[in-house]
Amino acid sequence: MGAMMKNPVTNVLIVGVGGQGVIMISKVLALLCQRQGFEVKQSEVHGMAKRGGAVFSHVRFGEKVHSPTIPDGEADVIVALEWAEGMRWLGQLRPHTGTFISDTQTIIPPFACRNRGRDQEPVYSRETPAEILGKVSQGYAVDAAGKARALGNERAANTILLGILSTAFDFDSEDWLEIITKFVPPASIDINRQAFVAGREWVKTASVPDDGAICAPVPVSRAILRNEVDIVPQWCKGCDICVRMCPQKCLELNDEQIVTFPRPDDCTGCRICEWLCPDFAIKVHKIRAPENPVVQTRMMEA
Amino acid sequence: MNIQEGVQAHVSAEEFDVRDYMRLDLFPHFLCPGCGHGMALRAMMWALYENNISMDKLAVVCGIGCSGRLGAYIDSNTFHTTHGRPLAFATGLALARPDLHVVVITGDGDCLAIGGNHLIHACRRNVNMTCLMLNNEVYGMTGGQVSPTTSADRYTTTTPGGNREPVFDACKLAEAAGAGFVGREVTMQVPTLKDLIKEAYDYNGFSFVEIMSDCTEIFGRKNQLGESAEMILSQKSSTRPDSYGTKVDDPFRPNALKTGVLVKGVRPEYRDMNRPIQPVQPVQKD
Repeated sequence: MGAMMKNPVTNVLIVGVGGQGVIMISKVLALLCQRQGFEVKQSEVHGMAKRGGAVFSHVRFGEKVHSPTIPDGEADVIVALEWAEGMRWLGQLRPHTGTFISDTQTIIPPFACRNRGRDQEPVYSRETPAEILGKVSQGYAVDAAGKARALGNERAANTILLGILSTAFDFDSEDWLEIITKFVPPASIDINRQAFVAGREWVKTASVPDDGAICAPVPVSRAILRNEVDIVPQWCKGCDICVRMCPQKCLELNDEQIVTFPRPDDCTGCRICEWLCPDFAIKVHKIRAPENPVVQTRMMEA
Repeated sequence: MNIQEGVQAHVSAEEFDVRDYMRLDLFPHFLCPGCGHGMALRAMMWALYENNISMDKLAVVCGIGCSGRLGAYIDSNTFHTTHGRPLAFATGLALARPDLHVVVITGDGDCLAIGGNHLIHACRRNVNMTCLMLNNEVYGMTGGQVSPTTSADRYTTTTPGGNREPVFDACKLAEAAGAGFVGREVTMQVPTLKDLIKEAYDYNGFSFVEIMSDCTEIFGRKNQLGESAEMILSQKSSTRPDSYGTKVDDPFRPNALKTGVLVKGVRPEYRDMNRPIQPVQPVQKD
């Protein structure tokens, strides 16, 4: 799983319900990455997730990080401490390479779900773990709360997920444990160490689900791999409109006053250059990912 | 915005390629660098694509001038007429061939000065066609003479001391002459312009759209209005969408030009108004 390190910036999105330890996971990860010599930026929102608000934390690290927030659809890892919250943020996962780690416990809010009548089933995320894991390239669904309860303290569930998250990176296990020790209350250091090890061990023993429940691939609207700008140089008259109007400044005029596309990585495919070109010299092509993602790793409770 | 609508617009922009509708062997076209007429032509073809109008059922009638040459690049039935007369030709064409979708591309000088007479009568008759008037405030092709829409104090080759004549508001003229659909938009807002032209195509009767274009080489340079990018940006900032109504900034921008659909009424189309001719009864003499 060290493959994700090839991106210049690694994005980790941690989501959950208030009080579960979202901020603790992100603090541990941020401090660890800082000690490993990366530049780290972290940003969080904490509010009432189950009443329509959001509790999430962005952690970004790499050689050079400019923005503290993760762009849409570019999270390399999502760690969800609650199943429905994981569903809510699944669209932010980077298509075809993203890793999805989720607790399968459900916390059903009393006010946000419909069908409030007596003896009515509350409306909740209907997707089963097997279904969702079929849509992501690397997915882990674990009953972390149940495992933590078996260890003696349900509140250590976030540390179990931290243990699973730690297998996504090449950092040493002892480094993780050292930082976890700094952040948890002294009385619960032992149980958190056990929980972290339990999370790491679970990845080795978990089973791969059968593919019976696999349904549609990840939504294609997000899966734009790159944008190409097709320029007909014979038609360009060098009026400079596209260069001046491009919000990302990815176009340039060359020495012969003909437009070129030197910074394709910055292009968002907004089509302003195509629309404003009076000479029909520009056409933007969005190169989409193949429809069926390659499933690499899927693990859930045996 | 509705998510579904957003997806639809996205798909439409994805599939539409203006080059499919052009006579590519004639490219690059003759327009100067940065001329807004190209963007207007794109919006016009995009609206045709979204309205599912077949190129076989399209008839484009053009006058003389920079705008008049645009018809040559459309891969469809196009007709290049005499100066100021495209509306007169188009009226005949629309009456003889009701199955065709008639679009007139004309310029400010072509439509308001030389063909001003034809414009008011086309509005009065309300024959089913669409008139796209590309207003670049100048006679560009003939060397930059003053036109009826040239703004006050602008320099042209025939107004070396600045334009002293009052300006024609083409939309008010069309409205007063009885046009059922009148709209105005700037070329910079290509998707919005496309939506306006789509609505004009759908209107049953005479629809008039004024497109504010920029003439960088002939008009902008003489008046030091900057390059094309600055010209289209200043055009955008000097207009105000009509759909804003009296909200927010109305008191602060009293002189901004209104854009969007300005008039949309219901008037009988020319063919609906035509009554069958009653045979004249010979007068009986005692």
